[in-house]
Amino acid sequence: MSMLRADGVHKRYDDLEVLRGVTFEVEPGQVKVIIGPSGSGKSTLLRCLSLLEEPDAGEVSLEGKRPGPGDVGMVFQKFNLFQNMTALQNVMIGLVEVRDLPKNEARAQALEFLERVGLADKTAQYPDELSGGQQQRVAIARALVMRPKAMLFDEPTSALDVELVREVLDVMESLAREGMTMVVVSHELRFAHHVASSVLMMDEGRIVEEAPPEEFFTSPKQERTKRFLSLVE
Amino acid sequence: MLASFDTHLFWTALTSSPYWRGALLALALTAAALSTAVVGGFFLALGRESSSRAVRTLVFLYNWIFRATPTLLQLLFIWNALPQLWPVFAGTWFTPFVAAYIALSLNEAAYMCEIIRAGLLSVDPGQELAGRALGMKRRRILRRVIVPQAIRIIIPPTGNEFITLLKLTSLASVISLQELLTASQNLAAVKFQYVESYLAALVYYLVIVSILMAVQSRLERRFTWTSRRRSPVLAPAVPAISQSDAR
Repeated sequence: MSMLRADGVHKRYDDLEVLRGVTFEVEPGQVKVIIGPSGSGKSTLLRCLSLLEEPDAGEVSLEGKRPGPGDVGMVFQKFNLFQNMTALQNVMIGLVEVRDLPKNEARAQALEFLERVGLADKTAQYPDELSGGQQQRVAIARALVMRPKAMLFDEPTSALDVELVREVLDVMESLAREGMTMVVVSHELRFAHHVASSVLMMDEGRIVEEAPPEEFFTSPKQERTKRFLSLVE
Repeated sequence: MLASFDTHLFWTALTSSPYWRGALLALALTAAALSTAVVGGFFLALGRESSSRAVRTLVFLYNWIFRATPTLLQLLFIWNALPQLWPVFAGTWFTPFVAAYIALSLNEAAYMCEIIRAGLLSVDPGQELAGRALGMKRRRILRRVIVPQAIRIIIPPTGNEFITLLKLTSLASVISLQELLTASQNLAAVKFQYVESYLAALVYYLVIVSILMAVQSRLERRFTWTSRRRSPVLAPAVPAISQSDAR
C-alpha cells in the first residue's frame, strides 16, 4: 500500500481552477520531486496533501486513512518559524500543544532534533537572529519532531541566499537516506537528480509527466517538459 | 517672578486630598475602562473578521454608534437616561464612577476594536499556516502565536488611547465625579487663583502620563523577540532602532 496518495484531487479558488484532477502516490521511503512553472498548482497540491487546504473533489490518504494532525510534516518556502519563540520553543510547541507531552519531555525531544539538524548551539535564539538556512533547518526539526509519516517541502531553498542552500539540502538528503517519505517542490535539479525516486512535471493543474530522474532529465517524453527544462537548466 | 503667583497655594493644592484623590480616581477609571475596552475590543475585532455576516454587521453598528457620537453625550446618556429606561440603574450602586466606567469602556472598546484588528491582521499569515501544519487548533494558534505577536503592534496605539482616556475622564466632572478637574475647579471657585489651581492639576496629569510612558517602553521590550534583551551587558551596543521605531 502506498504511503501517501492523492486521488483525483481538484481545487479551485473562485474562478481559478488550480488543480484539475491530480492523482499520484508515494511509496514508503520514496522521494518525489515536483517541478513546474509558477501557477501550475505545485504548492496547492502540497497544501492539499497536508490538508492545509481541503480538496474540492478527490481524496488524500496517508496509509489508506485521512492524515491526522501532525502526521504529514510541512516545510515552507519562507520558513514560517513562530517569531515570538526561540528555536527550541518552535520545535517544542507541537509536542506540547498537539501531542500533549509534558514540557520537560518535549524539551528533551526538541533538543535531540535540533542537534540532528546541527543547531544544538542555537536553541535560545529567536528566528530574527538566525540566518535563512538556520531558520529553515529549525523549521525542518519542528516538523520532524512530530514523527510525521511523510514530509512535504514547498520550495524549501528558494528564499535562501545561494551559499545557504547547501546546508538545507544536506539535511534533506540525509533525511531521504534514512528512509523518510518525501514530496519536494523544488527547482534544485541536482538535488532531484541525486535524491529523487522520480521527478514529476506539473503544468496547469495537472501532472504531465512522471519518470525516474535519469530518464526525466535526459529523455523527457512531453514537449512541455522539454520546454520547461530548457528554461531552468 | 510672576506678579501674582502664590507658591504656597500651589503646593497646598498639589498635596491636598481632593487633588490626589481626584488623580487616583482618574487613574483608576482610565485603567479600568481601558482594560475592559481591550477585552471587549478583542472580541469585537474577532467579530469584525467573523464569517457570519450578521456578526460583522452588529460589530459595524456598534463601532459606528460609539465613534460617531460625542463621548460627553454617551456619558450623559448612561448617567441620566439609563435609570429612566431601566429601574435597575436607579439604585445606589449606580454611582458616577460606575456610570463613567461603563460609558468610557463602551466608547473605548469601539476604538480598541480597530487597533486590535489591525494588530491581528499585521501578523504574517504564514504564522497561522505553520501552526495548522503542526496540527494545532485555531484557538491555540491564536493564543500562542498570533496574539503575542499582535500585542507588539498594539502597544503603542494603546498607549495613545490610555492618554486620550485619561483626559476624557475629566468629562466625568459633569456627572459630579470628584476627579482631578473637579478638584481644581472647586479650588479656583473658592480662591479665584486660577493659575495655581489649574497648574496643580496639570502636574498630576503629566506625572501619570510619564509613568505610563515608562511602563509602555518596558512592555514594548518585553514583547520584542530577541534574546539580546535578556543580556543587559549587550544592550547598549545594540541600537534600538528596530525595536522602538517599528510603529
